[in-house]
Amino acid sequence: MATKKEEKRFEKEMKAAKKAKMKAMKAAGITLNITPEQRRYNRRKAFVSSVWPIFRFFILLGLCFIILYPLIFMFSTAFRPNEQMNDPSIVWIPKSLTLQNIQQTWDVMKYGATVLNTIKLNLVASILQVITCAITGYGFARFNFKGKGLLFVIVVLMIIVPPQITTIPLYMQYSYFNPLGLVKLFTGDTISLINNGLTMYLPALFANGLRSGLFILIFRQFFRGLPKELEDAAYLDGCGPLKTFIVVMVPNALSSFLTVFLFSVVWYWNDYYVSSSFFNQNDTVALMLKNLTATLQAELFNNQTVGPRQMIVWLESGCILAITPILVMYIFLQKYFTEGIERSGLVG
Amino acid sequence: MTSNDKIKTPTKEEVKALKPPKGVKQKGIKIPYERRKALYGYAFIALWLIGTIYFFILPLFESLVYSFNETQPQRGVMHLDWNGIGHYRDAFRKDPDYSQFLVEILGSTALKTPLIIIFSIFVAVILNQKFRGRTFARAVFFLPVIIATGPVIEVINGNMSTGGYSAGGGEQFNTLFETNLVDQLLEFLGIYGISESLTNTITTVTSDIFNLVWNSGIQILLFLAALQNIPFSAKEAAQMEGATAWEYFWKITIPYISPMILASLVYTVIDSFVDPENKVMKLILTQGSDWNYGYMAAMAWAYFLIVGAALGIIVVIINKFVYYEVG
Repeated sequence: MATKKEEKRFEKEMKAAKKAKMKAMKAAGITLNITPEQRRYNRRKAFVSSVWPIFRFFILLGLCFIILYPLIFMFSTAFRPNEQMNDPSIVWIPKSLTLQNIQQTWDVMKYGATVLNTIKLNLVASILQVITCAITGYGFARFNFKGKGLLFVIVVLMIIVPPQITTIPLYMQYSYFNPLGLVKLFTGDTISLINNGLTMYLPALFANGLRSGLFILIFRQFFRGLPKELEDAAYLDGCGPLKTFIVVMVPNALSSFLTVFLFSVVWYWNDYYVSSSFFNQNDTVALMLKNLTATLQAELFNNQTVGPRQMIVWLESGCILAITPILVMYIFLQKYFTEGIERSGLVG
Repeated sequence: MTSNDKIKTPTKEEVKALKPPKGVKQKGIKIPYERRKALYGYAFIALWLIGTIYFFILPLFESLVYSFNETQPQRGVMHLDWNGIGHYRDAFRKDPDYSQFLVEILGSTALKTPLIIIFSIFVAVILNQKFRGRTFARAVFFLPVIIATGPVIEVINGNMSTGGYSAGGGEQFNTLFETNLVDQLLEFLGIYGISESLTNTITTVTSDIFNLVWNSGIQILLFLAALQNIPFSAKEAAQMEGATAWEYFWKITIPYISPMILASLVYTVIDSFVDPENKVMKLILTQGSDWNYGYMAAMAWAYFLIVGAALGIIVVIINKFVYYEVG
């Protein structure tokens, strides 16, 4: 394998050699034997390849601007003093910068504790979900059993049924938690899981967490793409299916694991609908941000009614605080997000 | 496999032959290989199966029951009074907003989905080319995947409109059309009459470019993956035959990525219908916070069934045009 640097050098050398050859031919008076059609094709190709990069640059620049526009606004307002929000001479670049907004929002959001809590919820649920979804996906990919088609329809249903349909029955189940009457048998009464992390962990443990239908599908597609010989070899060597899965299949699926894990982390981080149904307090960062207006009014403005315009700087600081962890993760692991899906076998 | 076994009932001699000779001792119970594998299959999905029954099927079924009843939450149970299809009738006949919002959502999804698909194919093709700064461009285009599902973008957009900033970079494009340039252009070309609805459509599209870009992150990712799976031999053959980029796109690229077009179509439609910010969803959630669970469940179920039917029709139609490589 040649490194990138070497490849570049080869390309350069090849181009130089081609040029030299053409020059020599011209000097010797040999004309290339090409038809007018070919010449036209070549000319058009040369034209397109010289003009297209310029167009491409402008298209991408415009689209990148549209995508980054809200983030530019966020950074522009979060660090400016509140008075400058009403200064008509300031549009994007504030006259002075301050960290006060961030500090105040940090305190109001109880950022340290909230972030730690969110990370804990997030990591435990994501890890559980990745493991169980992988096991389920493998079961669907490699074994034939009765009712497989029907069960797979349920997986697809899990993807397309909006969580809003099942939330309220689930709430009833959680607040009087009593699966098969087991809890009542041991403790004498049902227990309430509301405000308990278990409302996130339990579904994840049973491969029913956020968007787990999609993850099962990804794993199924991926495992189906792996060659069957891998397992046959392991079976011949005396591995049982479980050992085969752990020893042979999992190491091959690591990139897929990482992708699913990252997406799972992102979706748990961003989720506010499901967590707002099962948590009364603002326990996670997304919930905190969702209710930041009310919290700000209560704690920073002493319950006075404040116009939404007066709160922009704090709200934007809250946004910065809320997405920074996930943004940092994205910047460092960007490669795995984009390449992971490509390799994870979702395609084909 | 198991059905095969049923059809072929073995004769008595065969059964005798299959039975192990008396002298040989067997360890444990011997189960045929196929059935053993099937059992292992059940074992692998058992965890999910238990979870799905408890966390998905049961609640789903319960909400279906709610939708036919008047509900009254009480300690431990939901008190139910049979109401038949009353809630469904109310939703479609009495509710002033439900049917209207439903039609709106269906219309806007029908308009938006092809745009998102075309746009994301276009961007994916560009991002698949080699140029300087490609990594950066890719990182920016996938940024919405990370942020868009969360509350952040909603807060920022709300602030931008209260702060007097145009919400979304698309507004700049929009002003172009608000001065009715399209009208003038069409009149200049000698086309009168149709411009009213046409300008409206174009205006909605352009003012929506922000949402368009922000909603196509996953789709771009899917198409990019599909593009990179196009075998090199196909590209080489096309080059040998002197195909132009245009021909290459229509004859090679599109057929190869057509399975992904179907997949992202389904994804886009679901994403648009399930989005908690769309009007029907908001209506449904308001009913939920007003404790009208029966009515809410009826609305949600009717909505879900309509969406499911729409999705089914799309998949059946599009599937006819999808090219699957044999192999």
